[in-house]
Amino acid sequence: MIQELRTLNTESNLTELKRLVTQEKINAYAEASGDYNPIHIDPEFAAKTDLGGTVAHGMLILAYLSEFMTENFGENWINNGSLSARFKGAAYPGDTILVSGKVNNIEYKDDFVLVECDVICSNQKEEPVITCITKFKGKSNEDIG
Amino acid sequence: MSQQKIDYEKLTTGYEFEPSGFSIDNVAATKYLDAVDGSKGIYGKNNTVPPMAIAALAMTAMAEGLSMPPGAIHVSQDIQFLNPVIINENLTSYARVNRVVKRGKIHMLNIGVNVVNERNISVLAGETSFILPVSQ
Repeated sequence: MIQELRTLNTESNLTELKRLVTQEKINAYAEASGDYNPIHIDPEFAAKTDLGGTVAHGMLILAYLSEFMTENFGENWINNGSLSARFKGAAYPGDTILVSGKVNNIEYKDDFVLVECDVICSNQKEEPVITCITKFKGKSNEDIG
Repeated sequence: MSQQKIDYEKLTTGYEFEPSGFSIDNVAATKYLDAVDGSKGIYGKNNTVPPMAIAALAMTAMAEGLSMPPGAIHVSQDIQFLNPVIINENLTSYARVNRVVKRGKIHMLNIGVNVVNERNISVLAGETSFILPVSQ
């Protein structure tokens, strides 16, 4: 659900997003991005590393985070969003990633509103996979989306 | 997008990777959105490219110019969406080493990426950091 900027505040509930990571999705992401690092797509290779098996591309999980922002803030996000992410842990095939967040700060400047959110991607054990600060600018007197 | 690979241990601050040109057509955009379970309507409406697809291809282009060991860990990623990109628009990605830090057995690398369109207007900027093992 696209949030209305006029009524957005630090108590606003942002719609969460859930994604199941599978090896098929990791392979599809490798195809789409051109990133064929064996740690993502070669189970035999990955099994011999410290990670113990294949892991999702960090940029795939970050894409879920961006999708969370798109679902909540629409075009304001995809047209002028920014993110600052820290990769905290690996996402394995079979993991369910929950993307959740809250509005951290809203600043009004002339006709614009600057929105900052704290967003986290965590796995089914509630372990953080990515922590991130996102920001975007929107028109304060308009609906968005 | 192929280019000569440089070993990560030879990188110094200020090193510039070979620019890489690419564009994203409808097929590639759909393939990307399918892979990330992304919503298509918002992009189809304006014939625009998902900005994270641009980021992904720019990062891959940079990685193609860099030889990294299997133990490389992607630790952070900053991205700014600066301007919308239309399907089939020609883009050029520039990457530059911002920082190299060697501490004991750990090697930290920060690389800046800037993607411009045909009019040389920046459409996406980013920074990526890796921790890599130093060879013995």
